[in-house]
Amino acid sequence: MERIVLPEIQSLDQIEVYLANGGFDAAKKAFAQTPDSLIDQVKKSGLRGRGGAAFSAGLKWSFMPKTTDLPKYLCINGDESEPGSFKDRQIFEYNPFQLIEGAIITCYAIGAKTAYLYIRGEYHMWIKLMQKAVDTAYEKGFLGGKMKEVFGTEFFCNLYIHKGAGAYICGEESSLMNSIEGYRGYPRIKPPFPAQKGLWGCPTTINNVETITNIPPIISKGWEWFSKIGAPKHPGTILYGLSGHVNKPGVYELPTGILLTDLIYNVAGGVPGNKKIKCVIPGGSSMPPLRGDQLEGVRMDADSLKEVGSAIGTAGVMVMDEDTNLLDVLIRIAKFYHHESCGQCTPCREGTGWMEKTLKRIKNGLGTSKDLDLLCDVANHIEGNTICALGDAAAWPVKFMITRFRDEFEKYVNSDVVISVPNKVHAMRNTAVPLSDLKK
Amino acid sequence: MPKFIVDGKEIEFKLGQTIIQAARDAGISIPHFCWHPSLSVSGNCRVCLVEVEKMPKLVIACSTYATEGMVVSTNSPKTLDARNSVMEFILINHPLDCPICDEAGECKLQEYAYAHGKGESRFDEIKNRKEKRVQLGPYIKFDGERCISCSRCIRFSDEIAKANQLTFVERGDKVTISTFPGESFDNPYTMNTVDICPVGALTNNDFRFKSRVWEMSSTNSVCVGCARGCNTEIWVRNNEILRLTPRQNDNVNSYWMCDNGRLNTFKFVNNNERIDGAFFRKEGALQKVEWAEAINESAKLLKEYKSSEIAFAGSAFAACEDNYLLAKLAKQLGVHNLDFASHIVTGDQDDILIREDKTPNSLGAKLVGVKSSNNGLNLDAILKSIQEGKIKALYILEDDLASLSEEWEQALGKLDLLIANAANQNRTTALADVLFGASTYAEKHGTFVNFEGRVQRIRPAVATEEMERALDGMNMSRWDKFGTKFDRWMQGTKHNSKPSWKILSQISNVLGGKTKYEMAEDVFAEIAGSVDAFKGLDYDSIGEQGAKLKIKQEVKV
Ligand SMILES: Cc1cc2nc3c(=O)[nH]c(=O)nc-3n(C[C@H](O)[C@H](O)[C@H](O)COP(=O)(O)O)c2cc1C
Ligand code: SF4
Ligand code: SF4
Ligand code: SF4
Repeated sequence: MERIVLPEIQSLDQIEVYLANGGFDAAKKAFAQTPDSLIDQVKKSGLRGRGGAAFSAGLKWSFMPKTTDLPKYLCINGDESEPGSFKDRQIFEYNPFQLIEGAIITCYAIGAKTAYLYIRGEYHMWIKLMQKAVDTAYEKGFLGGKMKEVFGTEFFCNLYIHKGAGAYICGEESSLMNSIEGYRGYPRIKPPFPAQKGLWGCPTTINNVETITNIPPIISKGWEWFSKIGAPKHPGTILYGLSGHVNKPGVYELPTGILLTDLIYNVAGGVPGNKKIKCVIPGGSSMPPLRGDQLEGVRMDADSLKEVGSAIGTAGVMVMDEDTNLLDVLIRIAKFYHHESCGQCTPCREGTGWMEKTLKRIKNGLGTSKDLDLLCDVANHIEGNTICALGDAAAWPVKFMITRFRDEFEKYVNSDVVISVPNKVHAMRNTAVPLSDLKK
Repeated sequence: MPKFIVDGKEIEFKLGQTIIQAARDAGISIPHFCWHPSLSVSGNCRVCLVEVEKMPKLVIACSTYATEGMVVSTNSPKTLDARNSVMEFILINHPLDCPICDEAGECKLQEYAYAHGKGESRFDEIKNRKEKRVQLGPYIKFDGERCISCSRCIRFSDEIAKANQLTFVERGDKVTISTFPGESFDNPYTMNTVDICPVGALTNNDFRFKSRVWEMSSTNSVCVGCARGCNTEIWVRNNEILRLTPRQNDNVNSYWMCDNGRLNTFKFVNNNERIDGAFFRKEGALQKVEWAEAINESAKLLKEYKSSEIAFAGSAFAACEDNYLLAKLAKQLGVHNLDFASHIVTGDQDDILIREDKTPNSLGAKLVGVKSSNNGLNLDAILKSIQEGKIKALYILEDDLASLSEEWEQALGKLDLLIANAANQNRTTALADVLFGASTYAEKHGTFVNFEGRVQRIRPAVATEEMERALDGMNMSRWDKFGTKFDRWMQGTKHNSKPSWKILSQISNVLGGKTKYEMAEDVFAEIAGSVDAFKGLDYDSIGEQGAKLKIKQEVKV
């Protein structure tokens, strides 16, 4: 199987090697065509975003206004902060020029002259590597004003690397734009969407690093070729990040739509000690977990995972064996989202802390089954009621972990019966009280 | 106009209006904390989530535009469920210290909690703690635990006061308000944030812990701090003013007022240097006399001078009614030397509210006739004539001319006769031969004309000796209504003062005038009948929002 994003070529991060293997040919080919035709090809290729939501890349590009006096921007999202996700950094390290080539083609297609590559601040080493590649590209005229001579076109564009400052929320697209502008990383209310009003109020397209790195091969080898790889409705390859209880954790580039069990047992070498799997989170910590006894036949593409009640997310597959304490797992995940909530909107700001505190109380042996229902209810009231999707990301693990593994969670709490008694202050209302409280 | 449906009711909207705006115009109020009609939309509180047909999720009414045929429900089970849960979320870490919170009684959170809260909490954990007493700036104290992170204060500072001084710091449920490092929340408008803070997180150092809101009456009035004439409410307990707050008037001050106006225009009403009663200089010292005696003496003394030996000084601090009767008295005595002092602080003006003219009624004083006529003298000339001994008698209405300059103070000392109406003791009153205790703007009915020619009403908020709160139709607090004369809070100080127009009309009558004004409104009726700019107006038509005068020629102030 051919690898698209991380080809099996030694030292591809050296410009000579990249050029020797057809580097920047796709860009040359692209500049000879109209932007509209490029957008059309990307649309037809079926490429879907690799940043989490699996939205059609071509369709997103087509939202950019054709007639506008405002400058347009491209933002490339390399914030990569979702627990379980560690794939974009492979691109920074092993194939930086394909990302740069993808960026200039995308800029040309959407009419942008400036691209920002936002990299999470903790990636010191990869920021350095990427900056080196960007400097080289400028030197050789693959970026900046010299592009005119190198490609013989009127078009040129610039690419700047912007370092994150340690907030997960800055991976959310509108928050990322605020961060680039120098404001607090607060997500913006949508609409308006980035294509209408993005960076500095101008039309902006934002795509994940892996999404953009897919562009050059699509242009050079054609959209038909790409659309035939993997799952028809979600074609191409994906950088699967395997972690947790597997023998060979790591990032693997494989076609979409492969069997989850193949991925775990064949690719990642199975579970240490041949233990049974209790739980798999297929797409990064915010995606709904799957039960270990329900993995048979599950395929790794957006639509198949949706059918079984989860999502592809960033394809960060986290495997947990039968000895895993899911309460500990859930506490860790809840703690993460509590810590990373930007605090802008009420349900997420207050709800994430509430869930973490309640889970910790359960851990201390002070929970009742009523608390499990309460947790699901709190999660349900965060979900869908917030400014950005971090609210959903915080709610899903709690809600689905508890409902899908209720049998296990019941073991961590004291079973209890809840009865309704008249409220002490409010005569017209009732209070739900666990029977155990009354006995005390 | 396009239409859409809110709770089964078809309502019209203007293109570009959000659901919350259109509903508000139609009299439907959708609960909200962070949205404010004159600030940008932040969409963070989530209380205004409503259900819209054909939309997959609930949407926030503050940022969703109304569209033709849209069907909105502000009270469907889904909407109510979301709203109740947002209330629950806001309250889980809220300290619930309403019993000691200044905001209680006028708190949006408290009101919505009654209307939309569950009445109990399912939150069994330990609440977050935050700083409770942060001095953000000279006048503002911040309580982090009460703050609901609505960002209204930040947006106000950025967008209205044009001073980027506040920001959120920290993340998640640790978020709190702070100034930028080393900076203070210090601009001329900071205390408006106290009004718009939907909870008691921001308090005003001057008013903090002074009173529960229901213990005070509130009376619509106008600020006397400058020629803008910001619309205000005067809050009174025990016949003492405790605070001023701005009152919405889109033609004058929107929702705002400046800190100077708020803090420095009411304390003189309460203070103990008021002129209580009427005084007459006997054997070199001012002695308290009956009002009638002081009035008779004034009339008698004025008659002893030739009209060219008398001058009158009106006042831009006094109401139109007062100035009008002063001008009328001057006319009655044939005096042409008539003017008033201007109080301009050059440069102390901005594009927001503050005006250089630090009086509320310059235009009004001029319009009702306080200006020299028939070669009479203006203020500078009056000063000179006093110095030269040509003017021997001066009547000063509610202004402290002696404090204008050394020259003025000396000149006033040279006069044979100085009559003054004043609310407080000052350098002028010390020199007076006859002194009348004048009611302040907070103790009388009357009108001011602001710099744009808008005439606006003032009303009594504080009772003087001649007034009875209930009988004179003054606004009352719960305490005023239910108190008895044995209650401590019913025993506030009443000053022995009269509105200047009343004093002037009585002097005029002693001098043979035939006017009979029962109340300020009668004086205004006469102004409306005789001064073109006021034609057709009366107190009712001026109402709560004022009325723009039809001023033909440019009146220079
Ligand atoms: C809380 C949050 C964090 C996110 N973090 C990332 C991230 O680190 N990297 C990323 O590519 N997308 C992230 N996203 C998704 C982006 O908002 C956006 O959808 C994506 O970058 C679009 O690129 P794509 O269409 O190429 O997938 C995040 C979304 C949310 C709500
Ligand atoms: S959902 Fe959470 S992260 Fe997103 S804007 Fe609201 S508080 Fe911030
Ligand atoms: S201090 Fe008040 S106005 Fe400011 S964010 Fe907090 S609650 Fe809102
Ligand atoms: S701007 Fe002028 S009128 Fe308005 S509050 Fe300030 S001093 Fe008073």
